[in-house]
Amino acid sequence: MLRVITKLLRNKKRGISTVIVVMLSLVLIVTIVGNVILWSYQMNQVDWEKMQESIKIINVQETALGVLITFQNDGSLTSHVTSLWVTNSTIHQRYEIGTFISPGETTSELFEIIILPDEPYMTKVTTERGNISVFSTD
Amino acid sequence: MKKQFFKDKRAVTPVLSHLLLTIVAVSIMSLATSATFIITTNLRETMGERLLVEDVWFEQDSGEVNIYVRNVGRVTIQVAAIYVNKVGQLFNSPFNLEINENKWLKADFDWLSGESYYIDILTNRGTHVASYYKAP
Repeated sequence: MLRVITKLLRNKKRGISTVIVVMLSLVLIVTIVGNVILWSYQMNQVDWEKMQESIKIINVQETALGVLITFQNDGSLTSHVTSLWVTNSTIHQRYEIGTFISPGETTSELFEIIILPDEPYMTKVTTERGNISVFSTD
Repeated sequence: MKKQFFKDKRAVTPVLSHLLLTIVAVSIMSLATSATFIITTNLRETMGERLLVEDVWFEQDSGEVNIYVRNVGRVTIQVAAIYVNKVGQLFNSPFNLEINENKWLKADFDWLSGESYYIDILTNRGTHVASYYKAP
């Protein structure tokens, strides 16, 4: 059978260039589409994770040692809080932090470097995935 | 021997035609591959842009609008324009943000207290990040 096919291929050379062109074109198309789909899937994953994340600031309390902030993670993924903002009409102060909060966890963390302004002010945290949670005091 | 080789002109045309055909085919494939690479790179970069507006500060002292932005995407971002209520504004251009980098974007704009403004940040790849912000 193999011999017959080989013989046929040796004798009949018509249409081979067309087959080669089609195969090369297919390789190109598969590369383009595969690349775009793969990247799109990765970015969808990033957006999906961002949507799944849910973090809240439950309380902000000034103590003698610093500012005690209580976070609650309602989402299904671990949150990485990267920055903390303390803002009012005259001050917009950003602090770099690196707090990890597990899913379903409520945790309090003391920040010695934070200085709270006079009320009313707003405390805001942003996560690595790009979500924001706000806590206002009146 | 050498003289005889150069005198013999048989089958020169088919060799030349095959050579030319090979050159043309290789050139076309190179062009197609380059185009594929450029197209997919552009698409990937556009899809990978994510910009987060962490804070908007209507600064009373300078009268500027300061926007704190962070690149949460997978590619470097360059801000091309800022529109406040659909009017282009001057800003600290050129403004580039590496992945995970964050900094203040300062828009030179006279704002009024109590007014709401629609601030639209446009990147050079065409991504819009827009929202309403109220001046204090």
